[in-house]
Amino acid sequence: MNPFPLALRNLTRNPRRTALSLAVVASGAAAIVLTAGFVRFSFDGLREAMIHGGLGHLEVAVAAEVGRRSGGTLDRAPSLGGWRELRAEIERLPRVAAVGANLHVMGLVQRADGAAVSFAGVGVEPDRERAMGFVTKLRAGVPLPASPPAAGADVAQLAVGLAESLGVDVGDSLTLLTARADGMLSALDVRVAGLFTTGVAELDTRLLKLPLASAMRLAETDEVSNLLVGLDDTRDTAAALAAVERLVAGRDPALAVTPWPERAPFYGQVRDLYLGIFAFLGSVVVLLVVLAASNTLVMTVFERLRELGTLRAIGTTPAQIVALLLAEALWLGALGGALGAALGALGVAGLNALDLRMPPPPGAVDPLDLRLAYVPEAMAGAALLMLAVLALAALVPILRVLRLRVVEALGHV
Amino acid sequence: MPPPNPVPVFRARALSRRYGRGDAEVRALDAIDLDVAAGEVVFVAGPSGSGKSTLLHLLGTLDRADSGTVEVEGRDIAALGERERALLRRERLGFVFQDFHLVPVLSALENVEYPLWIAGVGRRERRERAGALLAAVGLERRADHRPRELSGGERQRVAVARALVHRPAAILADEPTGNLDSATGRAVLAQLLALHREHGAALVVATHDAELLADAPRRVTLRDGRIAADERVGAPA
Repeated sequence: MNPFPLALRNLTRNPRRTALSLAVVASGAAAIVLTAGFVRFSFDGLREAMIHGGLGHLEVAVAAEVGRRSGGTLDRAPSLGGWRELRAEIERLPRVAAVGANLHVMGLVQRADGAAVSFAGVGVEPDRERAMGFVTKLRAGVPLPASPPAAGADVAQLAVGLAESLGVDVGDSLTLLTARADGMLSALDVRVAGLFTTGVAELDTRLLKLPLASAMRLAETDEVSNLLVGLDDTRDTAAALAAVERLVAGRDPALAVTPWPERAPFYGQVRDLYLGIFAFLGSVVVLLVVLAASNTLVMTVFERLRELGTLRAIGTTPAQIVALLLAEALWLGALGGALGAALGALGVAGLNALDLRMPPPPGAVDPLDLRLAYVPEAMAGAALLMLAVLALAALVPILRVLRLRVVEALGHV
Repeated sequence: MPPPNPVPVFRARALSRRYGRGDAEVRALDAIDLDVAAGEVVFVAGPSGSGKSTLLHLLGTLDRADSGTVEVEGRDIAALGERERALLRRERLGFVFQDFHLVPVLSALENVEYPLWIAGVGRRERRERAGALLAAVGLERRADHRPRELSGGERQRVAVARALVHRPAAILADEPTGNLDSATGRAVLAQLLALHREHGAALVVATHDAELLADAPRRVTLRDGRIAADERVGAPA
């Protein structure tokens, strides 16, 4: 006995109620699709913003330095020698877009009148950063020059918070002071070429960028802190990590290759937070759909108690009654789930077309685009989840029918 | 002619059923003894509340007795679980109810097919057997109509066909003419009796319609849950 054709016909008994049930189930599925789309877009956006905001996909640094410092900081000592040859080797690997060297410098930045604040600086290779797809959110001025500036023509970009605390603007002159490895102080005069934001208010109060050549002049070193590897596609991170690890294996000093997630604990925290919110919202949606659908199914069954009693009287086994009621619930789940997945996809397109923005989250500077990703697995998952949810919702009426004696059901009015 | 089956289709002994408790207790059936032979026609008479429906429910395994026993073709039904009872009804018993109790989303033909469908009979055989019975009750032209498109008499004829389609050993008809006008009721009962003769199933009809009882070959009269009379008017039909 295949209960599904009869179950489908039973759904036509009360079209209005069936439509209402389908709407409830579809709304639940659509809510899941939309939430998943929002979460996925947020994850993807945050991940790419961090990677292309200066993190890179992989970091290659001296292992002892990595062990000494916490991941993701901007205070690795200049310890990586022979980096130009190493960079060339890494850039020959497949999936690698470019490799840029960074030199971290810390110290004081001083105005002409002597006022000074501390800074965390990073010497970068702008041409390589561009090749890696790095994006600097420039608020004023011009990007750093692609080619190394000549001695005496050094420039720097200041984060907006740092520029504000110093009271300087594009074109002003500053002096950078830092301690060399031997403990002696070193100084470099720079002109402010531009102002930028990292997107994180706390970082904006102390960060500055300067060309790698200028940073080397300031720190009086030819070594760099690390190499940042940019890939063509973030999904290749694991494969590229393995390839670069094979390449640097056995070098002296030992080198460590660190993938971006390990250098971005913030990403992991945000991801866990979002997933927690998603799980909570999903649970609420599932609970609401279970309650609403269960209520509808109970009503449907109660209206048909005499008929169900008749079916049992003429030989339908309890298992067959269960199969029939379950099949009705599964039809609602399948049709509602599919409808919800489709509505969810339409909702994603509609919301994206509206081009909405959300206020900056705590600690951030820029407003967030309210955009949603298409997540096919969420659409399929939401539809399947609705099947399970409706099967769960059918338990109440099924148990009620099974407890009822046939003769009671026959006498039900 | 095959020898009569010595095992009765129904054997009830000291059968009792009570409803309610304490002062509100009602003895719907009180220590009933009854045998119904294979192929026999029995009309159960009595006023409303005399226990006719309760007796049919207990014989038909739809309810459980408080005391006493019911055997269906020699099987004590007290020992059977819900599934076994359902299988027994599906294979050996047919039911006709006062309110027809057809499935509204199925056509007349599909309603007749239903007992065969749940038994796993193939579609072709189902159609043939259900179609033949619908023709026997004169409804072959109404085969595709839903119950709401049929008159009361037509619905009860569909129910009669449904009760016989799986070739049961007995049919239990509870006030089968109760919702029909007298002419239609007589016609439906005549068809039920004719089909009973053709199929050889025992037939137990509960009714309080004196007109129908006039020609009953065996009449069991209930009063206050007890058998007041068990009269055999003529030879079994």
